[in-house]
Amino acid sequence: MPLALRDLQAEMASYLVSGADADILGSIVSDTIPAAARLRIHRHQLYESLATALAGTFSTVQQLVGEAFFHAMARAFVAQTLPAQPVLSEYGEGFPAFIDAYDPARGLPYLADVARLDWALNLAFHSPMGERLTAADLSTIPGEQLSSTKVGLAPGTCVIHSTYPLDRIWSASQPGASMATVDLSEAGIRLLVFRRPDDAVFIALTEVEAVFVAGLAARMSLEDAALAAFADDAGFDLSVTFRRLLDLGVFVALQQ
Amino acid sequence: MVSVAGIGLRAPHLAAVVRDRPETAFLEIHAENYLTPSPALEAVERLRADYAFSVHAVGLSLGSTEGLDNAHLRRIAALVDRLQPTLVSDHLAWSISQGRYLNDLLPLPYTEEAIDVVVRNVDQLQEALGRRIAVENPSCYFSFAHATLSEPTFLSEVVRRSGCGLLLDANNLFVTAQNLRLDPRAWLDGLPVDAVMEYHLAGHAVNDADGEPILIDDHASRVSAPVWSLFGELVERFGPTPTLIEWDADIPPLEVLLDEAASADRLVAEREASAARAA
Repeated sequence: MPLALRDLQAEMASYLVSGADADILGSIVSDTIPAAARLRIHRHQLYESLATALAGTFSTVQQLVGEAFFHAMARAFVAQTLPAQPVLSEYGEGFPAFIDAYDPARGLPYLADVARLDWALNLAFHSPMGERLTAADLSTIPGEQLSSTKVGLAPGTCVIHSTYPLDRIWSASQPGASMATVDLSEAGIRLLVFRRPDDAVFIALTEVEAVFVAGLAARMSLEDAALAAFADDAGFDLSVTFRRLLDLGVFVALQQ
Repeated sequence: MVSVAGIGLRAPHLAAVVRDRPETAFLEIHAENYLTPSPALEAVERLRADYAFSVHAVGLSLGSTEGLDNAHLRRIAALVDRLQPTLVSDHLAWSISQGRYLNDLLPLPYTEEAIDVVVRNVDQLQEALGRRIAVENPSCYFSFAHATLSEPTFLSEVVRRSGCGLLLDANNLFVTAQNLRLDPRAWLDGLPVDAVMEYHLAGHAVNDADGEPILIDDHASRVSAPVWSLFGELVERFGPTPTLIEWDADIPPLEVLLDEAASADRLVAEREASAARAA
């Protein structure tokens, strides 16, 4: 009695993931090419295509560890976590935490944070561009209303905190550069990740700038976010920071 | 010469297509790459003014017993609504089981039970999109011992019951026929002529499976001579219809895809001319 289709699909999915001997092989025609060799093509496709998708999303991680190491790590992740749906740019959210616990990578303690940066860049890249706030827009707001105005961060904008100098590590991952130039004992960093029209990028923020941005992200008014920043560091320069963020285009246009 | 051949629009060519606006009958995109916002989606939305589009889904899993993923279906429907493509298609295959997406096009056992599953899913898809979709013959590397129907019989029955169209992939047919020891021309007998909506052409590789050659549908090279010949047979039997050049790995310069598309157009023109002479 052949398996009901639902059971056959479940068994085949399990076999493709695990490769463990299974009754499913008995459902496949074996001739000059045995069933296991035929199914091996699909096992290969499953692992290779998903590892390749992860390499696209976590390109900085791959640059740092090389293709072979990345591939082994990605395959181990695939074996543990398959996508829940077919949009592969949304696959890999759990990869940074997986790297944290991945024993062969324990000599690279910053690697999971690099993966978090890659994931944040991926999320920003796949966020809507929409209209961004400009200096000209701001000039339409009466002076006395400016401090109570809430400016929103553009979709996909976020701050990545790391105890490692992630920006220098990222630069070292680029072609021709080397990790030898990075001093891992350098202070940690906060990176503002955001989408631009054609790509997603990051810039380094000072600690107090990160406090200000966190306030805006929590939907505080400009005044309250600035007060929070002043409380953190009395030297906070609101106009310089605000102008810098405005010029980067990280604020959404005001609602009409 | 009327052009029927279009090309798959892939990330490495996007900037060149936006800049140069090459002539091609249509552009095809993989739906699943355009379901989230991105610079690429915005570029495609702008290209929509100048090109006809074919939206080819790879992840609907029309053969899954658990039915279509409603969230995914809604996103596909929204994309189709925005792009208003000429054609929408997916495969006679399954890729989801128990909520796990395997990122592969797995063949079905060709049985009555599987026909019911596919027809139910195609019905749901066509209803959600408000249009007829085309179902593509897959590349097969194995078959099921308990299958009771041939692949073309199965496809014909899905067409008859759901009213969907057919996307005939000449390369997939060649790959399947070689791997399962079938006659590709006999495979074409009995297919409903009026249902054919689109053709696909691509390259394949020859691998070794325990000492025996097995063909892999890798979309990483030019269309092979026997697949061109099979394409000629398709045009003869079912007439010219939109024809896609697919290239998804080791992607060459855009000109190579356009050159393959021109070859498809030439073949169609030659067949038409010889048919006119014969008439």
